[in-house]
Amino acid sequence: MTRLRQDSGEAGPLQAFVDGLMRVKRAPWLVIGLWLSTLVLALPLSLTMHGLIGDHLGSSMAARSAVDGMNYDWWNEFLAQSSGVGQTFVPAILGFAAIVQNLSGVADAAGPPSPVLWVVAAQMLVATFLIGGVLDRLARDRAIGAGAFFSACGVSVFRFLRLSVVSVAVYALLFVTVHNWLFGNLYLRLLEDLTVERTAFFYRLGLYALFGAMVLFANLVFDYAKVRAVVEDRRSMVGALAAGWRFVRRNLGAVVGLYALNSVAFMGVLFLYYLTAPGAAANALAFAIGQVFIVLRVIIRLQFAASQTALFQGRLAHAGYVARPLAKWPDSPAAEAIGPAYKNG
Amino acid sequence: MLLGLLLIQAGPSGQTPNLAPLSPRNANYDIEVTLDPAARTLTGSEVIEWRNIGTMAAYSIRVHLYWNAFRNTNSSWLKQRKLVGDDAFGEAEASDFGYSEIATIAVINGDGSVRADLKPALRYISPDDQNTDDRSLASAALPTAVQPGESLRLRITWTGKFPKNFDRTGVIGNYFFVSQWFPKLGVFEAGGWTAHQFFANSEFYSDFGRYDVRMTVPSGWTVGATGREQSRADAGNGRTRHRYVQDDVHDFAWTTSPDFIEHTQRFEHTGLPPVAMRLLLQPEHAGQADRHFAGTAAALRYYGEWFGAYPYGHLTIVDPAFQSDSGGMEYPTLFTGGTRWLSPRGSNDPEYVVLHEAGHQFWYGMVANNETERGWLDEGLNEYADSRVQAEALQPNYLVQRFFGDLIPWQFRDLPLKRATDTNWMNSYRRLGDRDALSTPTFQLWPATHQAQSYHKTALMLHTLERKHTWEVMQKVLATFFTRWRFKHPQPDDFFAVVEEVTGLPHAWFFDQVYRSSNTFDYAIERFDSEALSSRGLTESPAGLAFSEQTTRGSYRTTVVVRRLDAGVFPVDVLVTFSNGEQVREAWDGRARWQAFTFDRPVKAVSAQVDPERVLLLDTNYTNNSRVMEPATDAAATKWSLRWMVWLQDLMMTYAFFV
Repeated sequence: MTRLRQDSGEAGPLQAFVDGLMRVKRAPWLVIGLWLSTLVLALPLSLTMHGLIGDHLGSSMAARSAVDGMNYDWWNEFLAQSSGVGQTFVPAILGFAAIVQNLSGVADAAGPPSPVLWVVAAQMLVATFLIGGVLDRLARDRAIGAGAFFSACGVSVFRFLRLSVVSVAVYALLFVTVHNWLFGNLYLRLLEDLTVERTAFFYRLGLYALFGAMVLFANLVFDYAKVRAVVEDRRSMVGALAAGWRFVRRNLGAVVGLYALNSVAFMGVLFLYYLTAPGAAANALAFAIGQVFIVLRVIIRLQFAASQTALFQGRLAHAGYVARPLAKWPDSPAAEAIGPAYKNG
Repeated sequence: MLLGLLLIQAGPSGQTPNLAPLSPRNANYDIEVTLDPAARTLTGSEVIEWRNIGTMAAYSIRVHLYWNAFRNTNSSWLKQRKLVGDDAFGEAEASDFGYSEIATIAVINGDGSVRADLKPALRYISPDDQNTDDRSLASAALPTAVQPGESLRLRITWTGKFPKNFDRTGVIGNYFFVSQWFPKLGVFEAGGWTAHQFFANSEFYSDFGRYDVRMTVPSGWTVGATGREQSRADAGNGRTRHRYVQDDVHDFAWTTSPDFIEHTQRFEHTGLPPVAMRLLLQPEHAGQADRHFAGTAAALRYYGEWFGAYPYGHLTIVDPAFQSDSGGMEYPTLFTGGTRWLSPRGSNDPEYVVLHEAGHQFWYGMVANNETERGWLDEGLNEYADSRVQAEALQPNYLVQRFFGDLIPWQFRDLPLKRATDTNWMNSYRRLGDRDALSTPTFQLWPATHQAQSYHKTALMLHTLERKHTWEVMQKVLATFFTRWRFKHPQPDDFFAVVEEVTGLPHAWFFDQVYRSSNTFDYAIERFDSEALSSRGLTESPAGLAFSEQTTRGSYRTTVVVRRLDAGVFPVDVLVTFSNGEQVREAWDGRARWQAFTFDRPVKAVSAQVDPERVLLLDTNYTNNSRVMEPATDAAATKWSLRWMVWLQDLMMTYAFFV
């Protein structure tokens, strides 16, 4: 077991990465819980989609071809005649194209399709609620029980909602103002009189890198602000943000190195799914592989949080240190009331 | 000069072989033009020799000045585009606008002396929309009428300013694509001049003739043009004069750029004349030369075998520069393709557009109907034919979609595109098929539905006829139409007459619906059940009316109700399949709004279909054409909603990154 200790010298990014992995491994309920949250949140709209597809297919012969593979003509017919959430049932949901489409949507600041926007927003709210408990659990690196977990969630949620006022403003600035300036203004100016698409491709790639660096940097600061808010039990989110910023600035190499390691792990998961993503013919297997992929994505998300926590603890605190005492619920009056009877009994 | 006069590509004499005329050659253009790349202008002089091949005298002329469509935002072209929200010149700079300005125009004698100056009489006209700001069509009264059989010689000098590369013509960087660039006469027909203003949906219509064009461009720049290059000579000041000549064509387009990579390949196929293919490729597409030649050769081969040979012996393929908006356009013996830097093999991009534009050499190029009014007659016929060629020669053809700013292609190997529905563009017709009638003059079609009508509806309509009459019949229809009407400017009725002649059947009922109306088609199975044969109620008996209830053991009554949901009428078959494998087919004329069929059999039915072979490709909703007793609906809906769910979960995880 890799445990970072302050007295063993400063934690490096590789140590933090490995320690993070171990912490995630020791927190299987976090993985299961977060995976279930995506499943539960996605379920209502999936049932709606089930109804839309079923209604359109009716008792036609097209249903059989849709079971055996995909009838693209039926698919187009469905899209032409559906609205709302039905419009998101596009070929790009197939296999790895789904991931490409979603990443492309973020890179191009397209935002989630409006019919599913509320589910994504709900998931982000749920994540905002859970992240305090997740960080607490990963920071303590030991089982804390559901009560303590949700207590940590409750303690942090309003703090993180306050922090999200800042993070939403920063991300809005990046995804609306800066993105529009980079891709709606600068990119178009670079393209003026350009006759070579390859050059346009590399211009855009460069702008993606620049924009990505800004987003990742903001993300880093917010991540460490959350880590410090939980580990150091900070109530002021302005203070946590400043502390996160200081940590990133003073440990830039380690922080960026760790982020790169985690990103490589994320790429590895994507590559694995690219290799295994099933085609249109697959039925249950496709869903199973898809869920394994989602679980791996959850693990990667936790790995980011765990390894960043490990790095922070290794550099400024120590492993397993969390300033706030573990929540312990008092006995209820009912317990006291039955106490004597129990003793007497 | 050392360069001197170079003789190029034109056989031993350096001249175009003096072949027997294929066309009337009644509109001949002799043009001298100089390109100023820095100023982005053309300075030109032309002599037009026009012969009146009509039956009445011409008292005036009509001259197209197409580049005036880009003169200002009040042009009919740009106003029509703005109707659908496309305000391409809304924020354009002064240098982005283009124009064509006649300096002099005169009737001249055989020796070149001026007989009559027409400039004072020249005025802009707008017969189609009365837009007095439009400058795309001009008219001038003639001092003396040109009687049938007589000729007129006109000399015009003009200046053309390139618009920002926009819809077919223009300039970007040092890539110049020069089309619809010279003052050009309309077509004088039985009713007088056929000459329309230039609209967003308009294509073109001109008479056939000989084009002898000298283009002066910077030395070292590659030139591609209609016809064959006859000579190349030094024109001084670092410029070279290229001379191209072509007989029996109705237009002349050219391109020049220092960046082209030139490839050549010879098309040869048994029974067809060879064709020298010349490809002017953008350097970034260097690896795609074979794909451009493959698409072109497929058109030359299959169209040649099916309809008639390509007679010109040479063909130039221009790969347009990125962002030039000049791709996918046909001109006589030259066309533009259109590809992407990243273009995965196994999908017909660029093959499709190359094949389509090469195919135009047969319809637009030789049959040459009036595209301005009846664009479907070449675009639709060509779309139908190229779709068949794709199915024959260019497989596989997988769906591709692009991400990350439209730059990264993703090929869906699970979704091969099919001829009947995908390369005939069923989806476009399904959405927009009822927004206009095909008989509407093309330039008056709603700009956003032009393609759905002219290309896609026509392709589906012809493919429907193919499924009704067989490919052999349709091949004969198109071959007859091609060979009978090439170089003669046919009308839609000429095509309909050929259909009726070849099939031996009246087709007015069909064309009244698909051509003269905007009706769409949708047949459906409305009710399908199969249950034990039974009856109950009062029946006659010796004692009078008596109640009885009977169930016939081992006998089932199957009821199928077929409904016509849309206005379109088409005869369809109804196919019922029984559990013992027996199939019963009923023909229905499809006229009534509904029709019930009943079948008494010893077994239950398992499925019912209306139009089981999908003859009627114009049926916009085919899912409702069938019903089965034991549908797989739930399994299909479960499978695909779960697949969709994984996408949604991934989307949620993607945005969870920001929490």
